Amino acid sequence: MNRRDLIQLCGLAGLGLTTPIGVRAETREPDPYEGPFYLVFNASGGWDTTYLMDPKGTDSINRLYQEGDIQTEGNFRYAPNTEHIQAGMSNEDFFRRYASELLVFNGLDYSVNNHSPCARYTATGKLDSNIYPTFAALVAACQGPECPLAFLTFGNYSGTGNLIPMARIPYLPTLKKIAQADSPGGNHRYHDGFVSDRIERTLKEQLDTRLSKTQLPRSKRAQSTLYAAQLNSRTLKRALPHISNNAPKQRLAKQAEIALSSFKAGICVSANLSIGQFDSHGNNDRDQMKLIPEFLAGIDYAVRRAEALGIREKLVLVIQSEMGRTPHYNKGNGKDHWSIGSIMFMGHGIKGNRLLGETDGGQFAIPFDPKSLTPNPDKGIRVRPEHIHLALRQHAGIEEHKFSKRFSLKVSGAESLEKFWG
Amino acid sequence: MRARLCLLFWMIVASIHAIDFEADVWTKVVSRSCLKCHKPGGDAEDTRLVLLDPAVSGGKDWLTHNHQVLTRIAGIRKKSSNEPLVLLKVTEEVKHEGGEVLPRGSTRFQILEKFVREGAMTAVARKNDTSFFDGVTMINDTRLLRRVTLSLAGRLPAEAERTQIEQGGLKSMDVILDALMKEEAFYERLLEGFNDILLMRGVDGVPERILGYRNFGNTRNWHQKVKFDEIADTKERTQAKYTLTRRYRESILYEPYALIDHIVRNDRPFTELITADYLMVSPYTAKGYGIFDELKDRFRDSEDHMEFIPAKLKQLNLRNGKPDQVTPTGYYPHSGLLTTFHYLQRYPTTDTNRNRQRARKYFEHFLGIDVMELAPRVTDAAAVDAKYDVPTMEAADCVVCHKSVDPIAGLFQDYQNPNNDFGPFGPRKEGWFKDMFGPGTRPDELPESETWRALQWLGQRTAADPRFAVAMVEHVYYILTGRKTLRPPKDIDSPLFDARQRAYREQRNEIERIAEVFRNTKFNLKSAFKTWVRSRFYRADGVAVQQLDPERATELDDLGLVRLLAPEQLHRKIRAIFDYEWTLVTRESYYRILYGGIDSKAVTERILEPSGAMGAIQRIMANEVACKTVPIDFAKERSKRRLFPNIEADVLPDEEARIRAAIVHLHSLILGREDEPDDPEVTRSYELFAGIVSDANEVERFDPRENYFCRASFKEVRLPDPKYTLRAWRAVVTYLLRQPEFLYE
Repeated sequence: MNRRDLIQLCGLAGLGLTTPIGVRAETREPDPYEGPFYLVFNASGGWDTTYLMDPKGTDSINRLYQEGDIQTEGNFRYAPNTEHIQAGMSNEDFFRRYASELLVFNGLDYSVNNHSPCARYTATGKLDSNIYPTFAALVAACQGPECPLAFLTFGNYSGTGNLIPMARIPYLPTLKKIAQADSPGGNHRYHDGFVSDRIERTLKEQLDTRLSKTQLPRSKRAQSTLYAAQLNSRTLKRALPHISNNAPKQRLAKQAEIALSSFKAGICVSANLSIGQFDSHGNNDRDQMKLIPEFLAGIDYAVRRAEALGIREKLVLVIQSEMGRTPHYNKGNGKDHWSIGSIMFMGHGIKGNRLLGETDGGQFAIPFDPKSLTPNPDKGIRVRPEHIHLALRQHAGIEEHKFSKRFSLKVSGAESLEKFWG
Repeated sequence: MRARLCLLFWMIVASIHAIDFEADVWTKVVSRSCLKCHKPGGDAEDTRLVLLDPAVSGGKDWLTHNHQVLTRIAGIRKKSSNEPLVLLKVTEEVKHEGGEVLPRGSTRFQILEKFVREGAMTAVARKNDTSFFDGVTMINDTRLLRRVTLSLAGRLPAEAERTQIEQGGLKSMDVILDALMKEEAFYERLLEGFNDILLMRGVDGVPERILGYRNFGNTRNWHQKVKFDEIADTKERTQAKYTLTRRYRESILYEPYALIDHIVRNDRPFTELITADYLMVSPYTAKGYGIFDELKDRFRDSEDHMEFIPAKLKQLNLRNGKPDQVTPTGYYPHSGLLTTFHYLQRYPTTDTNRNRQRARKYFEHFLGIDVMELAPRVTDAAAVDAKYDVPTMEAADCVVCHKSVDPIAGLFQDYQNPNNDFGPFGPRKEGWFKDMFGPGTRPDELPESETWRALQWLGQRTAADPRFAVAMVEHVYYILTGRKTLRPPKDIDSPLFDARQRAYREQRNEIERIAEVFRNTKFNLKSAFKTWVRSRFYRADGVAVQQLDPERATELDDLGLVRLLAPEQLHRKIRAIFDYEWTLVTRESYYRILYGGIDSKAVTERILEPSGAMGAIQRIMANEVACKTVPIDFAKERSKRRLFPNIEADVLPDEEARIRAAIVHLHSLILGREDEPDDPEVTRSYELFAGIVSDANEVERFDPRENYFCRASFKEVRLPDPKYTLRAWRAVVTYLLRQPEFLYE
């Protein structure tokens, strides 16, 4: 039994299947994971897409610009905002810099408009279940279960489907501390090398013996997971050379720095990044003009830093929010929840400068032909998170993986998005 | 191809044989697709199909009733086509307010169709007539005792308790628990567990702002006016001010949990959680409310910021002394947590949210219902929004939830102040929203005469709701096991559905049984703890069969405690066993969060499975604790040692019996195992010890002293270790600290 199977054992037990008898745990450190790496950016609370990639410019929908002010870059139309922001990255700068790499889908239908189900649906592709894993967790479980920080999360819905543990690293210095678990202070060791080896071998023998016996599924799962966690944690030391002494201060950049250091070290597959407060019921334009630039600046930081680390080409970015905002203002100058929104992608294996999907003047989704990838009001489908998630699974090459099958999205072949990634 | 599909269809239908009303029709179809509307108080309560909800059936035979109702409905046919009307309704082939709920061809539709077409049927006998626990072994009483004392009191069992359990067996556990539940450590754990659920420590801003400026603006900052002029030294004076502020804030944050403490400690009905006509105040918070002078004689120590007593607030006044609230009693209408400013501030509202978040939390915390768990899909939610003026009152897709949520939201209408600093109290100037279902608890509306005490009205009705007791029993289960109770399985097409359903049903039956005990003991929460501890769900520990087939493994999947210790629990366990304060995961919030803990604000759910990062912390812990405790223990005289009371550090592996005896003691102390000297696990530990000493002898040179970092303290010298045995013992302890028996409960 190889290491990957050992880790997957935990998931098997978690779903009630029997655990093979006589399995043997391994003690060697796994090879570094070399990519692709997945960064999922969440604008938590619900972004206003009409102030970013799906501009309208009518008075009832947008007060800060008119239709004639809408900007273009490549195939994209976007809302101008340079004049309205105090800090962060403007839409103009973002699209100028990344349009050639961006894939945007407008008119995504979340079906409901409450934060909790929407966040779960957007993250997992499944509305009527609370046990499905987020895409980030699923891809980590399929592609790098032996990584000690396979799935990093900094917030937002982070269900794992019991496939893999989630990891939280709130500050960069904590990563340094845990990467030196066997050393008091970094330069010395608690135990001599031969002692540590003995301890590890004994733990392994003990696990082998215990796994060969029939136990309650929870007990078996706990033993496997615990052993894997401790064993794989030894590879955290690979992060040490990549931990920057100049950690950024901005909240999204801070998260990205931890994720990218872990990617570079080969100890992480995916990360769920998130900043909140997009829920602009109170004063939509003020809030969105503060948060969208902060969000875009965080994405920009991640891409630039990935480039500096030499892993930009291996990066896949999913940029999303759990809902959109109404095409009208409420009495408090805010906007409420709207079940139609947008999603953006860029990175490894994604053809850029592509705008797919459409909303009409009232910000309603126009049905979409999943084969020709064009709007089709009469015969198109309503593209929902399950369609996007199936496409993501296909992009990652995991749609046939047993974990993906266990958490089937039940999208028919006729509704599967074809050549979505170009 | 078409013929093949037809054949497949009929094979599927044929496979649904011997339909069991409860297991198939009720569980898979009706409870999921019909009950939400077709029940008293539901959106379809005025139709011919009105079912009893098992959760609020009040002991009625809901199954027989619902079977009879559905059988009657199944016989109704559409006149023009003679088709069963119910099948046309669920597919919306005739008008159905709830829209299409069962697509033709779906498994659920097929089950309903078979039930309808085969006419009246009686409930089929349960398929599983064997005990759910057949082949499951229980933890023995001694280990159960250790589990309970560590879990609930953060200590090892006392000798007297061991004797009690050895002599009295499980029956004596209640007596032991009665005594244990008087210990302070129990209340620390209890309130920690309730904070996981209620998260009130995560309130935004500085704690004194919980006492709103609008009503307590003149008194809430009393601590800033204390000058400490009697302290001459400037630094000391500044430090005294800091201390006062820290204590005041600690006291404020603790206040709502003091209510739980008070209720449980004094064996009061736990319904007071939502009905208490008082709040708990300390001398410090009493000053914040401006009621200290009238209470000061009731405090034992008016300088103790953590001494809490029950008290009542008078009806609220504005800062200028004018009334802000007029009540017939002249007092603030306290209703347990529902009216505490902490709860209301932790779950604030806005003019657009309209208290719906509070309503959602009310359902979750006090009735055990997650109203957002499975929001129904809407064909085009945006179109629904646009089509109706008030979708939440007009669109069936929205009404189904809002008809339950909005009336509760309306009961919080006196706390609509969206400016948190001003405090939650404050009705809207314009009056409560008219475009919402009115205040009440379905199907009852709040009487006009009760509006001044709407939350008291809610609290009293909640206490009488059978779901309250169930929810509290579920909370106790969470505190004991670290996980939530099972939810009903959803995927009826899964071959393992029946197994999952049985696991859910068995656990649900146990919850309902314990809820009954809880009710019968006048809602004494301690009874829920005692009954859970004796329950086989808490004691299940292993299986006595050779192999579990997939179905049986699924049934047993959630069984067994097997709980990864939370940071706070790990800290307490180390303290209890080693008498050593290892504080890495409790001292600094980022390590606590990294090790799966919460901050009650942004991070609100504990991690239940260890990641690699947590594995690293476990290695740090094992290394550090062994390093700091093994040499110290050996340095003490034998009678004072915990780890090595019967052996010296220089005994060589040749003296195998002595080494094994020492290992048996370590296994018992650290892991709670009761091993014989020849147990394979003892042998494994012995071989580790002996192997290390042997390896060391093969190393040409090693330092004849213990590691520099593993001195007893900075002042201590390094202990001699010429034969490497001390370090071998440290390795054994490190090894034991990394095992599931130590890191899990």
